[in-house]
Amino acid sequence: MAALSTEFGDLVQIKKQLISIISQCRERGLVHSMKWASELVFALDPLPVNEHPPPPELTEDDAQDFDALCLAKSYFDLKEYDRAAYFLRGCRSKKAYFLYMYSRYLSGEKKKDDETVDSLGPLEKGQVRNEALRELRVELSKKHSAGELDGFALYLYGVVLRKLDLLKEAVDIFVAATHALPLHWGAWLELCNLVTNIEMLKSLSLPDCWVRDFFLAHMYTELQMITEALQKYQSLIEAGFSKSTYIISQIAVAYHNIRDIDQALALFNELREQDPFRIENMDTFSNLLYVRSMKPELSYLAHNLVEIDKYRVETCCVIGNYYSLRSQHEKAALYFQRALKLNPRCLGAWTLMGHEYMEMKNTSAAIQAYRHAIEVNKRDYRAWYGLGQTYEILKMPFYSLYYYRKAHHLRPNDSRMLVALGECYEKLNQHVEAKKCYWRAYSVGDVERMALLKLAKLHEQLHESDDAAQYYIIYIQDIFSCGEQLEHAEVSTALRYLGQYYFKNRMYDEASFCAQRCCDYNDALPSKDGGRLLMKFIRHKDSRFGFRDLYSLLLHFVQQRHTHQESVPMSLPGPVATPIRRVSPLDLSSVTP
Amino acid sequence: MASVHESLYFNPMMTNGVVHANIFGIKDWVTPYKISVLALLYEMITSKPMALLERRRLNKLILPLQQGPDLTLKQFLMIVELCCPETSFELRCRLYQMADGELKDMEHFFSTLPNPFSDSEVYKTSVVGLFMRHMLLAYNKLSFSQVFKLYKSLQQYCNKDRWVTPSSGPQAELPSAANEDMELTSTEDTSVPRVDGVDREEPDAGPLHQSELCGHDTTGPLSQKQAEYFFARQAYLLKNDENKAMTPAILQNELNNILKFNPDFAEAHYLSYLNSMRVQDIYIATHSLLHYFDRLILSGGEGKSNGDEGYGRSLRYAILNLATLHCRFGHYQQADLALQEAIRIAQEANDHVCLQHCLSWLYTVEHMRGSDSVVLTEDSVKMASHFCLPYLASLGIQSLVQRGATQGMTANKLLDALRSTDMVHWKQSLSELIEISLAQTTSIWRMYGKSTMAWQQAQLLLNMNSLEPVNFGVQQNNTEAFAVALCHLAELHADQGLYGAVTDIMAHLKQQFPPHTQHAKLWMLCDLKIQFERAMNDGKYHLAEPHVTAIAALHRTEGLYRKALLLKALNRTSEASKILQRLQQLCEKNKSTEMIIRVLLATAELHWDSSGFATALPLLLQALTLSRQHNLQSLASETVLHLAFTQLMLGTPEQALALLEDVLESILAHGSLMDKGRALLLMARCQVALASSAVEEDRLAALEQAVETLEEATAYFSRLDCSERLREIYYLQARLHHALGHTAQRNKFAMLLRLLDQELPLSGATALTHI
Repeated sequence: MAALSTEFGDLVQIKKQLISIISQCRERGLVHSMKWASELVFALDPLPVNEHPPPPELTEDDAQDFDALCLAKSYFDLKEYDRAAYFLRGCRSKKAYFLYMYSRYLSGEKKKDDETVDSLGPLEKGQVRNEALRELRVELSKKHSAGELDGFALYLYGVVLRKLDLLKEAVDIFVAATHALPLHWGAWLELCNLVTNIEMLKSLSLPDCWVRDFFLAHMYTELQMITEALQKYQSLIEAGFSKSTYIISQIAVAYHNIRDIDQALALFNELREQDPFRIENMDTFSNLLYVRSMKPELSYLAHNLVEIDKYRVETCCVIGNYYSLRSQHEKAALYFQRALKLNPRCLGAWTLMGHEYMEMKNTSAAIQAYRHAIEVNKRDYRAWYGLGQTYEILKMPFYSLYYYRKAHHLRPNDSRMLVALGECYEKLNQHVEAKKCYWRAYSVGDVERMALLKLAKLHEQLHESDDAAQYYIIYIQDIFSCGEQLEHAEVSTALRYLGQYYFKNRMYDEASFCAQRCCDYNDALPSKDGGRLLMKFIRHKDSRFGFRDLYSLLLHFVQQRHTHQESVPMSLPGPVATPIRRVSPLDLSSVTP
Repeated sequence: MASVHESLYFNPMMTNGVVHANIFGIKDWVTPYKISVLALLYEMITSKPMALLERRRLNKLILPLQQGPDLTLKQFLMIVELCCPETSFELRCRLYQMADGELKDMEHFFSTLPNPFSDSEVYKTSVVGLFMRHMLLAYNKLSFSQVFKLYKSLQQYCNKDRWVTPSSGPQAELPSAANEDMELTSTEDTSVPRVDGVDREEPDAGPLHQSELCGHDTTGPLSQKQAEYFFARQAYLLKNDENKAMTPAILQNELNNILKFNPDFAEAHYLSYLNSMRVQDIYIATHSLLHYFDRLILSGGEGKSNGDEGYGRSLRYAILNLATLHCRFGHYQQADLALQEAIRIAQEANDHVCLQHCLSWLYTVEHMRGSDSVVLTEDSVKMASHFCLPYLASLGIQSLVQRGATQGMTANKLLDALRSTDMVHWKQSLSELIEISLAQTTSIWRMYGKSTMAWQQAQLLLNMNSLEPVNFGVQQNNTEAFAVALCHLAELHADQGLYGAVTDIMAHLKQQFPPHTQHAKLWMLCDLKIQFERAMNDGKYHLAEPHVTAIAALHRTEGLYRKALLLKALNRTSEASKILQRLQQLCEKNKSTEMIIRVLLATAELHWDSSGFATALPLLLQALTLSRQHNLQSLASETVLHLAFTQLMLGTPEQALALLEDVLESILAHGSLMDKGRALLLMARCQVALASSAVEEDRLAALEQAVETLEEATAYFSRLDCSERLREIYYLQARLHHALGHTAQRNKFAMLLRLLDQELPLSGATALTHI
């Protein structure tokens, strides 16, 4: 962190660097890097007049190529790439050379896209290639070995290599590009796409520059190392980039990834205030609104985005989410399809479309959509999970086990997959595995708070009343301690069971307490009746308090004290393998009002 | 990997979320290679009459050319040249003419192509006619730019060939067409030699060259038709003759390529599943299998009018296949769970056929787990015949027969069952089951000790022509049945001491079923057994020892039994007896009668070693009853041999001789060389023992007879190189000749004995306590 603060000490210097890179990117038509740099510049304080960096000096070559470059750039901006390349072919300056190669590359890409629509058959589609790539590679590699490539040209060389699927070479070239020109964000971003794990990231030797911190933060988000990412972003904010919309949006996405919905929502709202016409990342925002079922907000967002630009992938996804929340699933699927038409590589849309088809009970289409999502990204755990759900709906729990396992493998600490796995095992009568899954789900932090309940019910079914009671107690403590009470029915079921359990074990005080709490819930009739009945019974028993009962009560008292000591470690999540035979009475003193 | 595959560009054929791989029904499209095939057909139709032989050769060529993957022009012309050089020459001229000319030449070619509808030579629904019609249709559908693209690729196709031929200079022959737009079109072509030049100069550009090669060597993606043919062919080979299929790595590569071009090819995933089963890779196997069914579920609804039916059906078979996968990897519990699920779904859908398949797998799983599954199998057979599923029914019968054979069902019942299923097989031409049935008959005959019958059945199977349509008439298939038959054949040869033939058979087996393949364990076990027997006969026990461990690795009970035999031979009797006791318990649990009898015999021999001849009797009698009960003739005669020996040792040679004479006939007819020798040796001893109590003249005659018998036995044992027994014989011979007064003969045998003795020092036990 110390290095970071010294690096960022001179914000003015950073701003100057950014300004110069903006003009360089503009001259070369690298719009996305320019956008990123400009956003950062905007977040910093304006410079006084005399501090502005002077325009770079013209060299002999530059002066000679100036006219051709202007002409070519104008053609380039009009997307007439071949024409631009033609007029640049004789130029010798580095700037002109980059533009020359870049327009050849883009021309190839454009032609490839056109070809795809017009290919001979469905199979040939995969074969359509950017024909220019190989020539570009040969020329660039020649120049590279001669050491004549500058930072931008290296970047282009890397892109060409990546497109040719020569990933290892591409990584090396991108690293070289970041060394040559650390401020060019495009090179970092490409590198980010090629790094697949943390070991690989650590093995790279990256230039010691402030941009590296942005890269690392981005990388951590991609690798799902959210805490590290948040730390990095926080330090960047402290270093003076607090106004940057880029950082805010990244943090919001990170919070979304760890399902910290409130934080993420707050950040997105802030983002929209600062940048009301922003479309990027709004699909993530809409996901959050969807999860929270915030209909009016989602509707407002959707209408707003349609006004800005209705033919954007993000807009379509937002509208799809909106329709989905209104249970108009056909329309939702339609909009997700539209998003995919706009960008077939849009991963989220495939998965979301799968969800919509699931809602419409069109399982085959859902499977197809999920499979496409997996094809785009094998690590998409939601698609695996969705496939599992689909097969579970088709009553094939064993079959869905594989998919849930895959999803669990990708998100080892996500309780939803574990609960789903547990349910499947339960359906297959594999009780041991099911119990393990539920307990693990609880241990990793249960999102839906269902794991313990299911575990307790499973024990109840197997007539393991002590274990069942134990887990009901933890469940109730959990529910009460988190403050909000959502599942009345479930809580009252748990209380009723506990009441009966204490009653059976002749712990009448605890039983009557549970019965009373159970009766407080007036919505769940059967458990309420159960509670009343139980209370009646207890009164009945109390009135005929005999010698034997006194004895058994004493006995219980002793046992209770005994087990109380035992159960202290059990109040924390511990391994499921240590069962306690007698359960301490429910301690609700802290939660009762 | 973050980068996304190009083929995911939006698929215009997507309706309602489901991608139909082929909404226009384009299964094939025109490529330069197809144009050359068309040109060949054109030549064949229009050219002057050619020699009958050449025409026949060309005709045979057409189908593989149509179905196979695209070839380069050079390969194509070479194949044609082998059949008919003239046609090849004309073909080359025509193609070059087209490539060197203009676009209109190609257009002209397609317009003058004989129309199958009007011409009489090509019938419109024939294979050739359909192909030509497909091509014409595909050509007519091409858009403006596509036609030009096709023409350009045709030019490239022809030019590539021209560079390869060394005679013509590449630069001189550059097509004139390329000069028109030098910048655009010819760059692709000329870059190739240039890149090569660069590579040689630069050491760091190694991978560059390779990728360039890849880019040029791929002859383009397979069309759907070609791919389907490829899948069918490879899958068939995997099933029937693994050696001829591509190696696992290459096949997987090929599949990945196909999937790269079209991820919607469900069959490719299935083939990948089969391929990874070969290398026992459960991860890829599961992944591919599930992927296949995920894809199949989509296309399932498309073909049939009642879409839901097809969809549900593939779901049921998906889970059933998953069960089989787990079963093959030995995860019986998982397989069981999957099967239960399949059964439940099939029951809900009232799918009896699927249920039958489930049932047949259920009894297989039960059997593999070691529990009794006869009732299940019988049910399966009944139900399968009720629903007219001959394959499942006879498969069930076959597994019943197998179980019946080991558990002592009477022979006539078994053979009856096999014969009746055979009739069904031949009627339905279920070639797979025919093979299994023949192999099973071989095994059964062998078990009963009828070596000639076993021999004959094995030869019948090996000489049978394949009935499969794909390689009809080819003799060898590489299925389990063949492996079993060959193993039996090897053992039969070994029994007769024909070790040269055994080596040949083993070499063939090794070649046909390489060690990594599924059925390799069969011949490995067989080979080890034969080697073990040889070492034991030779008395080279140190050689036999490593074989025991190897056998135990492949087959536990067999390993234990061999270990006991070895220990017995080494006179470590107490250890041997312990092992035999354990083995007996094991076998009684498994109900493997054959092994029980063998164990009983071995135990009896142990009793002999401690001179407990009387205690050996009940064991031998038990063995005799068992073997008679189960019709195990060879074992029965061996038991009788043992009994006779016991009688002899107990001092009742008349009884022994009577017993021997009973079984001698069958031993000489069916037994192995070893058995024959032993029987004769025993006979001679009985004769000698009897002679001692006879009157003088009879005695001499009897001794003469014994000498003759011994000579016969000598012939058998010397064929087997069984020196220990030979020594015994020589000793006996010497003594007999001495008694008869043949001094010269006596001296000869005494010398032979002496020679053998030097070679093989006597082991501790000099008492002749074995047969």
